[in-house]
Order: sequence, then C-alpha cells, then structure tokens
Amino acid sequence: MTTLTFPLSRIEGHARVVIEVEAGNVLASQFQAVELRGFRHFVQGTPAEQMPVIVPRICGVCSTAHHVASVKALEDLYGVTPPRLACDIREVLLLGQLIQNQATSLFIFTMPDRANVESVFHMDESEASKKQQLSIAQRALKVRKTGTDLISLAGGQFIHPVKAHIGGVSGGITREAAAPMIKELEEMLPVACQLFDDYWAMSMAMVERIGSWGDDEPTYYLASTQANKPRFNSCELRVMGPEGEERTSFAPSEFDTYLEFHETEYSYAGSTTYQGQIMRANSLARINLAENLGTPRADKYLKRFTSSFGKPAHPIMLFDLCRGIELVYAMERCIEMLSEDLNYMDPKVGYTPRDGIGYGLVEAPRGPLIHRYVVENGLIADAQFIIPTVHNMRAIERALNVAGKRYISPTAINTELENAVGRVVRAFDPCIACATQ
Amino acid sequence: MSDAESGLPKFAILQLSGCAGCEVSLLNASEWVEKFRLVYMPLVISTHHVPHDVEVLLVSGGVRNNEDVYHLQRAAKNVKKVIAVGTCAISGGVTNLGDRDEVREVFLSQSGRLHLPQMLSKTHPVDAFVDVDLYLPGCPPTPELFMAALQPDQEFKASGIVCGECGRRKLTDMRPKHLTGFQSGEAQPDICLINQGYLCVGTSTRGGCRAICTRAGHPCVGCRGPSNAFIEKESSVWLENIQRVFERMTDIPAGEVNEALRSPQLSMFLFQFSDYAGGMHQPCSKNKVL
Repeated sequence: MTTLTFPLSRIEGHARVVIEVEAGNVLASQFQAVELRGFRHFVQGTPAEQMPVIVPRICGVCSTAHHVASVKALEDLYGVTPPRLACDIREVLLLGQLIQNQATSLFIFTMPDRANVESVFHMDESEASKKQQLSIAQRALKVRKTGTDLISLAGGQFIHPVKAHIGGVSGGITREAAAPMIKELEEMLPVACQLFDDYWAMSMAMVERIGSWGDDEPTYYLASTQANKPRFNSCELRVMGPEGEERTSFAPSEFDTYLEFHETEYSYAGSTTYQGQIMRANSLARINLAENLGTPRADKYLKRFTSSFGKPAHPIMLFDLCRGIELVYAMERCIEMLSEDLNYMDPKVGYTPRDGIGYGLVEAPRGPLIHRYVVENGLIADAQFIIPTVHNMRAIERALNVAGKRYISPTAINTELENAVGRVVRAFDPCIACATQ
Repeated sequence: MSDAESGLPKFAILQLSGCAGCEVSLLNASEWVEKFRLVYMPLVISTHHVPHDVEVLLVSGGVRNNEDVYHLQRAAKNVKKVIAVGTCAISGGVTNLGDRDEVREVFLSQSGRLHLPQMLSKTHPVDAFVDVDLYLPGCPPTPELFMAALQPDQEFKASGIVCGECGRRKLTDMRPKHLTGFQSGEAQPDICLINQGYLCVGTSTRGGCRAICTRAGHPCVGCRGPSNAFIEKESSVWLENIQRVFERMTDIPAGEVNEALRSPQLSMFLFQFSDYAGGMHQPCSKNKVL
C-alpha cells in the first residue's frame, strides 16, 4: 500500500491529508486535524458568566461567533430575551466577521490557487497594474480590514470582542461612530466587487484548465440562515435534501436528535453526520437554502450564480464563489444597518443567574455554531461546542476521494494531485482551531 | 520577483497551538507588505519550511504537543532573532486553565491516539525550548505593536500603563462598595471603570494597546501583562498593587477583589510572566518585553 501525506497550508490551523492507495485504487482519504487544546475540559469549573470572555480564545478567526454563541447560551439558560437593538448590533458584529473571513478565504487562501502561486503576497503583478492601484494583496487586506473595523465598532476589541453581554450588548452605536464606518464600507464595496469579479473569471479559467469543479455528488445541506434576508444571529437550523427539498428545521436544543457525532482515531476533530448521511455546511449550504439576500448587488450575483450553476448547486469549488456573494451581501447589509439608528434604546436587560442547561446558536462563516452549557452552582459543569467544520469532515473526505481517483492511476500519480488536495480542502475553508478546540 | 531581488528583510511566522488571533492581527496591519518580505506563514503561504536566511521569526501559540516542540526547535535554529508573540507563546495562555490534575487526566486520556501528535502534560511557553530575544504580549497584540516589534529602531511611544491611554476620568467621590460583575450594568462613558466598580487592572497593565477594551467600556483583563514597574518581580507584587489601587479608590472588601483577581478570565493573563513562564526561569527582563 502507498500512503501519500500532504501537509496543508492557507487554512486556519494544523491539519494534513493522508490518501491510501493500493494498485492505483484510492482506499481511503483522511483529513487529520492534529492539534488539540482541550477547551471542553479546562472550562469545567469556570464561573458561567466568564465564558463570553474565555471562549473567543477558541479561535482568533471565528472569535466573534463564539463570543455571541456563548452569550446566547447563557441567555437561554437564564431565561432572558435581549432587546431588539442588541440583536441588531450582534448581527453587525457577525457580519463584520463574515466580511473578514470571506475576504481572507477568497483573496488570501484561494486566489493563489487560481494564479498558480504560493501566496497572494508573492503574486507577480505588472508594474502598470501596480501603478494604477494598490496590489491585489493590499486591496485584499483593506477589504478584510473593513470586517475587523466593524468588529471593533460593534464588539469593542478587534479580535476577541467584549461588547456582547448576557441580556444584550454593553452599548449602542452612535451616528457619529457609524458615519466613518459607512464611508469606509462604501469606498471598499466596489473594490471588493472588482476583486470578486476577477476571482470569478480566474475560477472559470482554472476550471477550464483542470476540467472539473470537484466533487459534485448531491448531498444534504445544513444552515441556520433563513430563505429570505438571512440573519446570521440565527435561531433555528434548516436541512436541505440532495434534490433541493427542504427536509426539516430544528432548534439548537434538538441538535443531537438530528446530528450524530463520531470520534475518529486519526483526527482530533471527529465528524458529524445528518441521520447517518454526509452533509455540508458553510457558504454553499446557505446559498442553496436562500431565495434572496435582500441587497441589490448581492442579489445580482446570486441570480448570476443560480443561472450559471442551477439550484441546488453541488460542485465543491462553488463554495468559493458563494463566499464572494456573501462578502458583497455583508458589506451592503452593514451599510444599510449602520444607516439606521442603532442607539435608540437601552441595549440591555437585567438577568438573574440560575443553574440549568442552555443552548446558543449563531451562523458562523463556516456554518451553524452551537454552544451547550450545563451550569451547576453557577459553574460550568459541562460545555459542548458543536462546530460547523466538523459537519463538513465527511464531505471533505469524499471530495478528497474524488480528487484522488482523478489523479491516481495504476501506472502513475499525477503531481497535480497535491494542488487538487489543497483546492478541495480550501473550498470547505475548514477551521481546525474550532474543530478540535 | 525572486527573494533575492526583493532585497527586503525577511520574516517568518511559526504558529504553534493557538487560536490564530495573533496572525489575524498581523493581517490587519498592511504596512509590512511594502517593508518586509514574509517568507513563511502556513496560514497564508504554501511553504512548508522556514528558510535559512530569515531575520526575524515570530512564534505564536503555546507548545502543546511533540510536533510543536520539533517545529519550534527546527525553525529557531536558522534565524537571527526570535520574538514570542501573544499570551500563549509567552505563558501557554488560556489552556493553563486546565493545568490541574483532574483536567489533565481527562485531557490526556482523550488525546493519546495512534496517528496523532503526542500531547504534553501542559502547554509550555516558547522559551522553555528556545531562547527568546523579545516578548510581545497581548491577546492578541495590536497591529501597531506588531509593526513596532518588526521595526525596533523606529521610535514607538506607548504609555507605561493602560490607564495612561484610556482617557477616562478618576473621581474621588465615587467609591463603590462591591464589584460590578463583568456582565452587569452599563459602563458610564468618560468615568474610570474602577469608580464604577469594575475589576479593571489597567492601572498596572503594560500600555501600548491604546486601551481598546476600556475605551469600549470593558474592564482591562491584563492581557499585555505587568508594566515595567512589576515585570521583573513575582506576580504577587503585581496583584498586591492592584489591591492597593482598589483600597485607595473604592470601599470594596479586599477579599472580594482578591478572589475575583484569581478567577479564570483574569488569572489566564495575570500570571503570564513570572509564574507560568517562571519556574526554573528568571523573571523576564523589561528590556526584552515590548
């Protein structure tokens, strides 16, 4: 048997892919998440009210999602409903993270695959194009920074936000604070669209060259955003079947009725199935489950996407294009939201701590994220983090098998396989720090 | 453009077991793109080895497993200068909350798997394995601090303490009797958070972060570590100083402050220099901390 090991890069965290081959046949593809810090274990005994400060440290890329999910789990546990204004500010916070994440995944993680270079920071650009405007790397960093600036504005700190509180948020957003942010977003939106248009064209050219969009077998999809005008500060999960039919929806507290977690000997992440079936979360799931997004430019891109690839669309490299649609959506939506009054009432209600079990759900960039806390005597007795990257594990491995079969024959292993492995994994934009915690 | 042609100083970033927040912070600074050549950072570059001619190696994350040890030692061998970035690299960080027997046992029993890196019994700081030339504390350090670390000859002006950058007024006639919980109340603008009963440790925490948390109304949790006045001493000296500030400015019982300082969300930062990084190590020289 031949064992091929591929180190991974341009993803968050530490992981590798192992493909086992015998006589030209792919026996198995494994996605091995190789890090582990043990949040589930070491938060035991922590005063429950300190979780919103501790859990963002699970991941510096997805910290905002953990911060808000944590606060929502404790609100569920204490029986508190935050005011509408607080929900809106949390939505801005989550959209800021979506902008930051989708811009990073598109222009820093996966654009180099389309340009055949190791990194966007080493891209060879002609002097003429450089003189006209900033390099692709600098424009990409500026677009993603609008997301970070939104997180700072709505969340206080720029990586590990602090402003979501149990019962609401610690403060509104004044008109004076919103104005420069709106200006920055309005300046960067056309830059983002231009980069995305280039990215779309480069993707088409790449697919022309390699001859495939990757694993396109129909699959189940999981998202917690609604069909119209999605909200990432979400409240229920939805499942789409392989033919595009909406199968079911469920509350975060019912997750273990629908989602089954499996330990894996070769990975610290494990995997989940939907009633025993492979499923996918992240951008393609949300776009497949969406009728419209509700902002003009994003809806135009969505229409173009649906007419080009159908609905539901299955090939994995469409995840990447969906991220671009969502990047545009999030920027447009934040301009809309910040143009309204976000300082009109007390953004917080009081609460009385009590023991019990609570569930907090948000739609993170990678899919639905659930925190489940059991609190006894005010302390965390058990904490579970139900991570969207884990929902994608089986889908990643199936797509790796498809790529393996394409590039491995009884006589040779095509060296393009290494690039293909990178493209497959990055299409899912896995987050290993979250998946293993 | 080849490496040789660019002529820019080369730097690399090795990410050990951590959250990638430090890397994300660096990506928020775009100034370095024109001034340095980033040659190794798996998060954004598909290169699997630290090249031999690197000027500066930034290390983020703690040393959690035996692959971390290997990668760290191999990378540090080639470089002129090692900078430990962020709380995890300096002390082990948030995972030290699990540095107790009952958690360690459960964790290690779950982590011994056939094809995966062997876990160490705790997360070690980077300087437990290689010499560190500069410490850059913060969870994470701000983009501005990253630029200051990369360009040591450029004058970087930071206040000695977070308080100096916060801008909230300290009042003499507003003396709370109990701590306000981190999740309770709404901080009034412009007034010192200690006057409002929040357990803010910005009075003795290292400046340089521009007080982003306290200005947003959240008490300082001390992620930048002790100021120069305390950094060469045991953490108990820092803690006593915080307690004295609360005695002077509030009527909160000393026991209440003391207990809260040792709670998880603060203790993960308050003990980051002298205790966790300490042990057999000497306290950190202030000249080595940005």
